[in-house]
Amino acid sequence: MVTLYPRSEQFPGIEDMALDAYIAQYRRECAPLMWAGFVLGTVFFHITPLFTVYIPLPAYALSDEDRERHAQRLVSHPMYYVRQPVFLLKMVAGLLWGADPAVRARLGLAPYPADPGTWRTS
Amino acid sequence: MTHVAFREEDLTLEVDYVVVGSGAGGATAANALARGGATVALVEAGPWRDPADYPSSTYGAMRDLFDGWGVGIAKGRALWPIVQASCVGGTTVINCAICVRTPEDVLLEWERDLGVGTKAWREGLWKHQERLEVELCAEVVPAASAGRSNLLAAKGAAAVPYDGHPMTRYVKGCAGSGQCLQGCKQLKKQSLNLQFVPEVMALGGTVLSCAPAERVLLEGRRAVGVTGRFREPVTRRKGGRFTVRARKAVVVAASVTRTAPLLAASGVKHPLLGAGFRAHPGTGVIGVYDEHVDMNVGATQGWASVQYRVEPGMKLETLSIPPEMIASRLAGAGAELVARMGDYRRMAMWVVALRAEAVGRVKRGVFGEVSVDYGFADADMRRLRKGLALLARTHFAAGARRVIPGIYGLPYDLGPDQVGLIEEGPLDPRAYILISSHLFGGATMDRDPARGVCDEYGRVHGYEGLVVADASVIPTTLGVNPQHTIMALARTFAERLLDA
Repeated sequence: MVTLYPRSEQFPGIEDMALDAYIAQYRRECAPLMWAGFVLGTVFFHITPLFTVYIPLPAYALSDEDRERHAQRLVSHPMYYVRQPVFLLKMVAGLLWGADPAVRARLGLAPYPADPGTWRTS
Repeated sequence: MTHVAFREEDLTLEVDYVVVGSGAGGATAANALARGGATVALVEAGPWRDPADYPSSTYGAMRDLFDGWGVGIAKGRALWPIVQASCVGGTTVINCAICVRTPEDVLLEWERDLGVGTKAWREGLWKHQERLEVELCAEVVPAASAGRSNLLAAKGAAAVPYDGHPMTRYVKGCAGSGQCLQGCKQLKKQSLNLQFVPEVMALGGTVLSCAPAERVLLEGRRAVGVTGRFREPVTRRKGGRFTVRARKAVVVAASVTRTAPLLAASGVKHPLLGAGFRAHPGTGVIGVYDEHVDMNVGATQGWASVQYRVEPGMKLETLSIPPEMIASRLAGAGAELVARMGDYRRMAMWVVALRAEAVGRVKRGVFGEVSVDYGFADADMRRLRKGLALLARTHFAAGARRVIPGIYGLPYDLGPDQVGLIEEGPLDPRAYILISSHLFGGATMDRDPARGVCDEYGRVHGYEGLVVADASVIPTTLGVNPQHTIMALARTFAERLLDA
């Protein structure tokens, strides 16, 4: 996720956000199938650099540049079922990154109020 | 006034009518039955969230309002998410409340080809729509709250030229907060959790929320109630069993993806149950302008064109989506993707909703999730390319500097002289990111029991006291947003039940 949304001159990176807490929250709250897809997508991302950047290492052991090159090749891969797992990671990470108050401020948007997560109980 | 949410204890009720599902069909049917003096129980799988409970972020909307986080997918050569809500009020909470009367050519086709409806039936439907427009304060999007994206679309269409118009929606005095998809916290959108459902309770009805129905209870060929177990919305822990017995009829309006599987799980036998699934799949073209558009300011959807509804069969409309959704929609990863997000304020997204010829089948997934088999034909893909190319031209006519087609295999962005690339783009649906919305079928109407599951009043052929009152009964695509049609059909069916 850090590779997908890195820090730039214009925006904070996902590494500047509460990523661990977000993943824990996502795991707790999302549908089991979505979590399974997220885990599989992550594993897939880490075991495939040999086929994209031709380096026999897991993605977490690559340099930042090689890992980004790996990510770019996966999201633009000609095979649909190679692109899709990374699309899911991009979506899950994007839900955090795009909703971050600093990102929204740079896009001229007010911060989101907290999601109450409440409902009528009686 | 009774509302029963998640509880550990069992619950048994007896009413005249039990209605499963509180979306456009269910809430409208329950409301009509309650107005007619019947005792009604409305059983909704999701929780009841008031505007103060609505989320603001897309994460919150997926968690709190979407059915199963939106993991339901239509599976063909490509996987396309199905967007619908699971909460009291159903999808009327998260849609843009677009109000379009059922086109006459569609109703004539139903009568001619399926024996569904008569002149009086059609006129009754439109009469209901007239009344619904008054009751739910249907309004044309005011220019003051339209936002730049909608105004640019109008300008572009006029320049191409083709006909377009500001939308009419069930929104009273739109504040232009751009939050339709997360539920309108401004209380402007007349979603049915705010309108018809409270009235059902005021008229003595009972609303069960967090109450997914597992089965319709049948005694022989007669429906006599529903049963299920309460489910806690966060932990999904099961609670007590509820059983609602119906003296007169069971009305099922659990959504296109839930109604047919529920009937099948209940033992309703019909070879066409789950068949005849249709949709208006959609995707968009993003225009990038020199100046700020700020698409999230103004009505989420405020402009549409139905000029091409019949031929080639598509609807064009605006759709503003927040940065967290655009981020995954744009191609690329890493520094390239983040740099592309820098254009967000200058982007406007307009979509084509396709009147697809493809026909699929609804079924229950392995894990109980929504699952639909739905393959796309080349004819649909050609139509899609045509619609996307027209949107690109509209953007350029409105002053866009470039467009982002979002089609795999094409350049990330295109200039005005490259629109032809979209028209000749891939026919493989896997090259496109589509969303299946406006769902139809699964328990379609046909006068002949061999060709349809229900008759023209939603009554399931071969069963007594069992009525379907959601978009499952709609046998064809409409080419327009279906909420108005669903509500008018539900009211027609409910009034027929009362007359009987």
